[in-house]
Amino acid sequence: MDFSFSSDQQLLKNSARAFLDEHCKPAAVRLLWDDPRGESDTMWKEMAQLGWLGLSLPEAYGGSGLGMVESAILLDELGRAAYPGPYWPTVLAAAAVETAGTDTQKKRWLSAIATGDARATLALLDADLDWDPGTMSARAEKTPRGWALSGTKRFVPWAHVANLLLIPARAPEGPTLFLVDPSASGLTLSPVQGMDPATRWVQIDMDQVPAATDAVLGTVGQAEPLLASLVRRGAVGAAAEMLGAARRCLDMAVGYAKVREQFGQPIGSFQAIRHKCAEMLLEIENSHSAVYYAAWALDAHAEDGELAASIAKAYVGDAARKVCGEAIQVHGGIGFTWEYDLHIYMKRAKALEPMYGDADYHREQIVRRVAR
Amino acid sequence: MDLTYAPEDREFRAATRRWLEANVPGDDLKTLAERRAWHRKLYEAGYVGMLWPREYGGWGATPMRQAIVQDEMARVSAPPPINGLGIGFIGPTIIVHGTEAQKQRYLKKMLTAEEIWCQLYSEPNAGSDLASLKTRAEDQGDHFLVNGQKIWTSSGPISDWGILLARTDPKLPKHRGITCVLLNMRQPGVEVRPLKQITGSSLFSEVFMTNARAEKSDLIGNINQGWEIAQTTLGFERGGNSLGRVTRYATAFNQLVKATKELKRGGRPLLEDPAVRARMGRIYADLEVQRYAALRVLSALQKGDAPGAASSITKLSYTEFEKRYYELALEILGPFGQLMVAREEFEEVDSSSGEPGTFATAFLWSRAGTIYSGSSEIQKNIIGERVLGLPKEVRADRLKV
Repeated sequence: MDFSFSSDQQLLKNSARAFLDEHCKPAAVRLLWDDPRGESDTMWKEMAQLGWLGLSLPEAYGGSGLGMVESAILLDELGRAAYPGPYWPTVLAAAAVETAGTDTQKKRWLSAIATGDARATLALLDADLDWDPGTMSARAEKTPRGWALSGTKRFVPWAHVANLLLIPARAPEGPTLFLVDPSASGLTLSPVQGMDPATRWVQIDMDQVPAATDAVLGTVGQAEPLLASLVRRGAVGAAAEMLGAARRCLDMAVGYAKVREQFGQPIGSFQAIRHKCAEMLLEIENSHSAVYYAAWALDAHAEDGELAASIAKAYVGDAARKVCGEAIQVHGGIGFTWEYDLHIYMKRAKALEPMYGDADYHREQIVRRVAR
Repeated sequence: MDLTYAPEDREFRAATRRWLEANVPGDDLKTLAERRAWHRKLYEAGYVGMLWPREYGGWGATPMRQAIVQDEMARVSAPPPINGLGIGFIGPTIIVHGTEAQKQRYLKKMLTAEEIWCQLYSEPNAGSDLASLKTRAEDQGDHFLVNGQKIWTSSGPISDWGILLARTDPKLPKHRGITCVLLNMRQPGVEVRPLKQITGSSLFSEVFMTNARAEKSDLIGNINQGWEIAQTTLGFERGGNSLGRVTRYATAFNQLVKATKELKRGGRPLLEDPAVRARMGRIYADLEVQRYAALRVLSALQKGDAPGAASSITKLSYTEFEKRYYELALEILGPFGQLMVAREEFEEVDSSSGEPGTFATAFLWSRAGTIYSGSSEIQKNIIGERVLGLPKEVRADRLKV
């Protein structure tokens, strides 16, 4: 029983912290707010060189073969820096190709992703707004040359910069996952901007989008378990990223409470502020336990892995909302200004809250597992 | 990171489970003699005094093994050993600060529950501000003359000995004039009056000391060093051992599931109501997170890391959780949640006091956890000052000094 990071894991955490402190300062995040792509290609290539893009891919494709714990460590740090870019969607999509892909599909995409030459994303949310991986309104019809996809995918992260889209659609045989070229005919990408200027969402409208027979990932009609596992991994990753963003908010609040003076004293000496900070730390520590327990459980194929993933997402979503909100309260007026950096991190956590299954979805998954 | 149990710990768990299945008493233990006998049996099997060094009659086991035993006992709702305060906190204090003669005299009988111990710390006017305590211990050469009143004393009526904090020098600043001494409870100057709690039971007492006698040979540490010693005692009391507690919560959750299946509203089980499901999902997530946190604490203890001020986070977390938990259970169960006698819809659940009862009993007991052993507000002060490094507050009693 060892809940602490190994020395390699600690090293990964430290090097990620050092890299992001230098290359992903708040000013750098702000610069990308008005950028049409919203991410930095230079940073993407550097992340590839650090081995982050191939972190969990097999060595044969230039990866390091590491697990969800290592991904969570990295996402925790990326969240702390409010890193803007398609890191997690790309890594998740790569994991899907690695799990279910043919040799040809793997050769085509995995090395390109590990080297930073390709970006990918997953369209997990449909027009029906249901996170249940078995339900989707998008349809795949058979054509003489393969398939034609129609329907709408909502809030797809970073699709506008992706070289590869993973799109689920219902074929006559059942849910099927397709590898789709973003420049295919009949495909329309429309940006949707939420409150976090550093998170980019795209609506994908498909009208008879052609997909070849070999564009199917895995078995036709059998995509549900794979989609469920992607929602699960996605949820744990999002929880790690929310945790990191919330950590930053707590650090800023505590730092501010030590120096801001009112009534002749630092406000951190007042119990009203100190107790708030203590409650925030409690939420951070519990979230840490939830995220890394779930990440470990997925890596270890523990029997409660699926449950733990839902618990992490549901718990950390609530906890991060509380911590980031209270950080603004501790700061007072300055925390409500655009110039002060706090909202960068608060908005990152917020943007992830409804993704990969919102808390209601995951709470229902929990009840299904424990109240039979 | 590796959260699997070591093979030898898994084996130990299996052996513990077998032992408990064969030995847990079938009927409720009613008399003190029955509870002592069960305690003795647990001790001889190696399940009491697990963390104590072997030279003092303990078993020198790892924190992991102790957690496993507590977890397995919670799983089958085994009656707890008695003398919990003695074995958990007072004995370790004597081991750290006591003389060799005190160790020889008291420790073994404490472990075997031949002598039962209580803690004489809190006073009616010294709760969170424990250092303002007023009970006097006057130096009479070979003994102290003790006068004053204590409150919130667990096991008061059955106690043979108590660990007492009393003021020996009223002229010194309040933290520096306190002395720690062992007090014989079986003497005319000590009167124990049971205190009835909101649960209707009396697990705590008030203790009145009128010209009671505490021997100099029972002094722990030096005169006026009592506050430091109390800090170590409280340190033993916070954190750790949360695995068994979480298992009790999980057992109660199963009862909640059972009740929500059997109780019907408009012909449909409560469990099918989406509003009830959402609440149950939320509270179960909260419950499991307490378990993950317990494992994390255990992993640190295994590595020999002292939890220190971080144990305040653990205590704050589970006691506040427990209030949310039973509040929610009562909300879901409506008036059924308020019944003080178990019915067919749900069986007994263990409250945090160790007393079996209903959700109503557990709900009432949940109000105690955020007050005893340092209230939530005190824990937040500790976390703020010692973990987050926030500046100390300006306090009237600090200004006076």
